[in-house]
Amino acid sequence: MLGPLQPLVDMVTSPLFLMIVLFPGLTSIAIIGALLGWLERKVTARVQLRIGPLYASPAGGILQMFADLIKLSFKELFVPENSDAFFFIMAPTTGLVIGAALVGLIPFAPGIQIANIEVGLPAFLAIITLSPSLVLLAGWSANSKFPFIGGLRALFQQTAYEIPLWLSALGVIMMAGTLNLAQIVAAQSTGWFIIPQALGAFIFLVTSVAEMERLPFDLPEAESEIMMGWQAEYTGVLFLAAQGPGFVKLYAFSALFTTIYLGGFLGPSFLPPLFWMLMKTLVIIVLIMLLRSTFPRVRLDQLLRAGWTTLLTLAIVNIGITYLLVVGLPTF
Amino acid sequence: MTDLLFLAFAAVTIGAAILAIEARDLVYGAAALGIAFLGVAGLFFLLDAAYVGWFQIAVYIGAVVVLILFTVMLVGPKMGETPLGLKRVSLLAAILVSLLLGMTGALANATAFPGQDSCGSGCDLYLLSTSLLKNYGVQLEFMSLVMAAAVIGALVLSKTDRGQ
Amino acid sequence: MEPLSSFFAVSVILLGIGIYGLTTKRNAIRILFSVELIYNAANLNIIAFARLRNPPIVTGQVLVLFTIALAAMEAAVGLSIIILISRLNAEIDLSKLSKLKG
Repeated sequence: MLGPLQPLVDMVTSPLFLMIVLFPGLTSIAIIGALLGWLERKVTARVQLRIGPLYASPAGGILQMFADLIKLSFKELFVPENSDAFFFIMAPTTGLVIGAALVGLIPFAPGIQIANIEVGLPAFLAIITLSPSLVLLAGWSANSKFPFIGGLRALFQQTAYEIPLWLSALGVIMMAGTLNLAQIVAAQSTGWFIIPQALGAFIFLVTSVAEMERLPFDLPEAESEIMMGWQAEYTGVLFLAAQGPGFVKLYAFSALFTTIYLGGFLGPSFLPPLFWMLMKTLVIIVLIMLLRSTFPRVRLDQLLRAGWTTLLTLAIVNIGITYLLVVGLPTF
Repeated sequence: MTDLLFLAFAAVTIGAAILAIEARDLVYGAAALGIAFLGVAGLFFLLDAAYVGWFQIAVYIGAVVVLILFTVMLVGPKMGETPLGLKRVSLLAAILVSLLLGMTGALANATAFPGQDSCGSGCDLYLLSTSLLKNYGVQLEFMSLVMAAAVIGALVLSKTDRGQ
Repeated sequence: MEPLSSFFAVSVILLGIGIYGLTTKRNAIRILFSVELIYNAANLNIIAFARLRNPPIVTGQVLVLFTIALAAMEAAVGLSIIILISRLNAEIDLSKLSKLKG
């Protein structure tokens, strides 16, 4: 009917394309990222007995982040004079791309998964290993002392917590027997993995909070410590590009935690699986946000020591426990 | 479609590799090297070696590029090569490399490589994982010893003398 | 599906770029770049040849896993040496560092 445009129309209306653009792809990531910013401010405000954002709309300030976005896009966007403009602009933008790629791997419902690849869990963790170099480049490119030191600290922190992250995910892989995220969800139909893997889930939660650089692990970008660290020189829309990946990674990590420990989209069938998935993810997100307002900030040497020694040992202990659970006690 | 993907990945890899060794600033070279590694990982995916491709991304771009960037920033800005005195060596090296490429290209066309059929049921992880853990388990243990030696060596080499 | 000779050609071109960088550059870190490119060319070659049969020859993929890890280790040790040299000598021009002592 449309002649030469027919393949294009086919591609645009194919389910994969709709998934990539709408849900769980780009549009939903953007909207959820903005809503998570609002949710964080509300949750921390309620813990601190405040009200939080209120005026941006009649429904409790829910449009606050969109108002911020409009405000930030009108601010002056300048790149510092002796800085390396290419990396200054590209590093946070690539961080956004990485966050979006992470969300693409997660099964949200039995048919809704953008990329159902055989090696989904190592793929997720491998994409996360790309973020320390981007933070280092962003901190270095501002050509100023505080961002550079903040970038180095962020690099050390994120590199130190990668290994416990991989090892705690290894416990899940041993129990499920597969690397495919959709099959890991299916393997939890007899029982969620959080019960036999309690230690592993705890380690995974702690290391993912450290990887996201949220409080209590946000020394490299704390406002009172190092003047916002590696994000100090970012203004205007680039500020959003530097903060945005944090929220997208929060969404992605919480969704992964739900997938591998809490049974993903499994739940009683009187509600659709997508609802269960989003509700469990929301519980984990609120838990991580509550951590922010409850714990004091961890010092950098304590943080690195905990990552390289304590958490690593606990993760290896977890692998031992999982081995005994999977294979059974050895007979002598 | 795979032809287009192959051309894209190959072009990105080769372009980034040339940029990596010719860029004046070492940080740009390291970033270009990271892009080259990404291109090679893409070629691995096209060759149905998905796990190896993600492993390449996690190890090379996630660790080696970070190490290189960190070293470049610590060691300080050393600019690229001054071209004086090296023109003749560069020309000789370029001629030798072109001869190498040409000979290998001629050999590659002489033996007929088959085109592939699409990968059947054998391209999943089962073969790779059982082979790695059963047939090459001893080598895996040796690799972990070598890694421990490398980590200890790197720590010893970069240790500074702290005044007591 | 691409014929194997195209993958082989890409691998040989990468090898050529790596050898060119290895022989003509004097900066130690740039030489490390070239060595990493040669590693990648070899890995790509092995994976391409492992795909000759259907299912692929798994030994090739196992070997590449090992060589990726080994290359990372070698880069780590090499970079520690470079940091040490730069601390002692204040420059890393390899054509001038020809004495083993010190």
